[in-house]
Amino acid sequence: MLQNIFFGLSLGAVYSLIAVGFALVFNILKFSNFSHGGVMSFTAYAGYYAYIRLFDGHVSSSWMFFAVVTTAAVIGALTAVAIERVGFRRLRRNQAPVIYYFISSITLGILLENIITIFASSNFYSYPVFFSSDNLSLLGTTFSVADVVTLLVSSASLAGLLLVLYRSKLGLAVRTVSFDVNTASLMGIDADRVVMATFAMSGALGGISGVFLGMNYSLYPQLGQLVVKGFIASVIGGLGSITGAVIGALLLGIVEVALIGMVGSGWMPACVFVIMLVFLLVRPRGISGVIVQEKA
Amino acid sequence: MNAPDQATPSSGHLEVTGLCKAFGGVQAVNGFSFDAKPGEIVGIIGPNGAGKTTAFNLVTGVYTPDSGSVVLDGVALGGQRQDEIARQGVGRTFQNIRLFKGLNVLENVMTASDPYADYNFLAAVLSLPAKRRSDRQAAEKAREYLDLVGLRGLEDDRPEALPYGLQRKLELARALALRPKVILLDEPAAGLNPSEVREFIDLVKRLHERFNFTIVFIEHRMEVVMNLSHKLFVMSFGKLLASGAPEAVRRNPEVIEAYIGEEE
Amino acid sequence: MDYIYSILTLTGITMIGVMGTYMVTGLTGQFSFGQAAFMAVGGYVSAMLALRFNLPFPLAAIAGSAAAMLAGLLVGVPTVRLRRDYISLVTFGFGEAIISVLNNSAQLTGGAEGLVNIPKRVDLPLVLGSVIGCLLLVACYKNSKYGRQCLALRSDELAARSMGIDVNRLKLVTFLFASAITGYAGVLYAFYAQYLEPGYFNWTVSAEWLIIVFVGGINSLTGAMVSALILSSLPELLRFASAWRIIIYCVIVLIIINYRPNGIFGDWEISRLWKKSAKGEKA
Repeated sequence: MLQNIFFGLSLGAVYSLIAVGFALVFNILKFSNFSHGGVMSFTAYAGYYAYIRLFDGHVSSSWMFFAVVTTAAVIGALTAVAIERVGFRRLRRNQAPVIYYFISSITLGILLENIITIFASSNFYSYPVFFSSDNLSLLGTTFSVADVVTLLVSSASLAGLLLVLYRSKLGLAVRTVSFDVNTASLMGIDADRVVMATFAMSGALGGISGVFLGMNYSLYPQLGQLVVKGFIASVIGGLGSITGAVIGALLLGIVEVALIGMVGSGWMPACVFVIMLVFLLVRPRGISGVIVQEKA
Repeated sequence: MNAPDQATPSSGHLEVTGLCKAFGGVQAVNGFSFDAKPGEIVGIIGPNGAGKTTAFNLVTGVYTPDSGSVVLDGVALGGQRQDEIARQGVGRTFQNIRLFKGLNVLENVMTASDPYADYNFLAAVLSLPAKRRSDRQAAEKAREYLDLVGLRGLEDDRPEALPYGLQRKLELARALALRPKVILLDEPAAGLNPSEVREFIDLVKRLHERFNFTIVFIEHRMEVVMNLSHKLFVMSFGKLLASGAPEAVRRNPEVIEAYIGEEE
Repeated sequence: MDYIYSILTLTGITMIGVMGTYMVTGLTGQFSFGQAAFMAVGGYVSAMLALRFNLPFPLAAIAGSAAAMLAGLLVGVPTVRLRRDYISLVTFGFGEAIISVLNNSAQLTGGAEGLVNIPKRVDLPLVLGSVIGCLLLVACYKNSKYGRQCLALRSDELAARSMGIDVNRLKLVTFLFASAITGYAGVLYAFYAQYLEPGYFNWTVSAEWLIIVFVGGINSLTGAMVSALILSSLPELLRFASAWRIIIYCVIVLIIINYRPNGIFGDWEISRLWKKSAKGEKA
């Protein structure tokens, strides 16, 4: 029981990275950024290639995981910044309606996915086992090392993000822009830079979650479609709320693990869907209770 | 279903009492009241940020009031959906013109009469004679409204391609097509040049004579306010500051006080 | 010849699917990521009725479309009153859920191995007739009070509501109509291919339809149809690998979105040609 909850939490922690990466961009540009999935797939592969080409044999095995995660985070940040340049900057200049952002993000997501398909020829690769399959024993239950590391690294990344958001000048600028892009630029904030920084942060989180997903499921180009978990978590938590996203993600992780135990992994997506529908009917604002209206 | 083409003199009585609305900690509208008798033209003035537009949004159901009541001809509008309120005869225009971009000028006007159009889904997808007749009549009517505001001949144009002044007129024509008992105009003369303003005043007077509906408008331009309104309400910090005949209100020291540092 | 015949048939079926997407996206401005799932519902329900209960094709076809519409009701009711993002999520979730249900009820649906031995009841003429028929229905819908109000709400929901338009109801009606039409595309596919598998209906199909609509221009049904015709048949004829095809689509979309945001056709409709000539005669 405790073990399952813990497994759910560790899954939820990965989801929360996705959800927060998603919420960051949502906060600023007010659209659901589906290209985040593409970033996740892309970085998962990038991390894998970094491992094969760069680190294998050069980095001691205990540090390997961190080397891969860091590389993935950096590449994720760069990819997301590139995506912002190609997909959204011009739209922002033209003050295009939200649906254009949306379409652009879907397109970029699909584009990345198919680029990977071509170059990785949709074979299945898998990450090496970074952590011994030993289990830690605590309170009479056993936990797998990988789950513990997942939980710790995710928490650390989120803590780092919150530190940047709430304790730095850049974070203040990001929060200001999230109120209103246009007003912020009137107040002398370089909106382009802030948006870029936000995408970088979101991309870094996407990179870290990409590696975790790759470790959990093996690599395939459609890996990034798990971005929808982040979206579901954001809906449960309340679109745009970062705390809400984290809570929603942890809940989702636990519920999924519980459902797999009860109905099996095959039926799980259908059950999650029904739960989400009910949730939308009962509490469309999400847990955090803030509702983001379309601009009046 | 069919709203009367012309408001009878006894309809269009709008009574708003004790309206309150807070956003976060800000009390945008705080116990504001006003009323408009059938066929009356009522102006609402007040400094920027006084809550005038919010009051309109509360009356039309964009926001739900925290408290207070909105009654049209004895029917409480509070708690009804925005579109239900509109169909009961409350038309409006917007401060920052909101026309429908994917539709041409004629269709923009037709949309406001479409909720009354009397044909069903089947008739629509099969383009049955009933549908075609109804659409033809709606288009006819819409042309008439366009004619009234002086937009004849521009039916096929894109609304966003029209000059600003004409966009305002189009919005007015669209509101007419709703066949309103009360029409709310939010800063209808904003952005118009002096000759356009005079033309606009005449237009509103003409429409008022023809349809005899109740008009409530928000405006900063004193020329419009003094020329059109039968009665004035002054709003400040979400509250009613003064009301009465335009001339009396203009000389009210409290009103002058509220406007100091505000008047252009 | 057989090859071209089959491409034309499949293109026709895609065009009907794209009509559904056009209605949801082009008319009401929402994004359905699970439109292909309605195709799955239509296909599977009609095929199973024909296989298990020997229902004749026309009845099975009606039942398939109706089932898709019912599924649309399930998805639409909770979502039409919410922000547009939600309908994308819910339709996506619905697509995944349908696939998981299909995969996991093997006795009924054949599971991942697919549903086989569906009788062949659909050929090119029927598909072409269906394309024209559906197109007329959708075009008339767009040209009625429903279509006008949809475009109004797509452009500005708040203003639409204050013109008395019941936005939620209209979105739902349109969504149901779109579901039924997409379901019908599924029926055609099932009785043409004689074989159904859950994997065929995943979200990339829905996304491809969205892209097709967008390339043609979300304001133009004509554009959506021309773009469906070209984008779904040309790569087949040129025998592109599907991943390259999608990459090319994506690049086109990115260029269009940045430099010609109204799509290739803008809001031009072919019906303007005869409208114009009618006007000319009057004058």
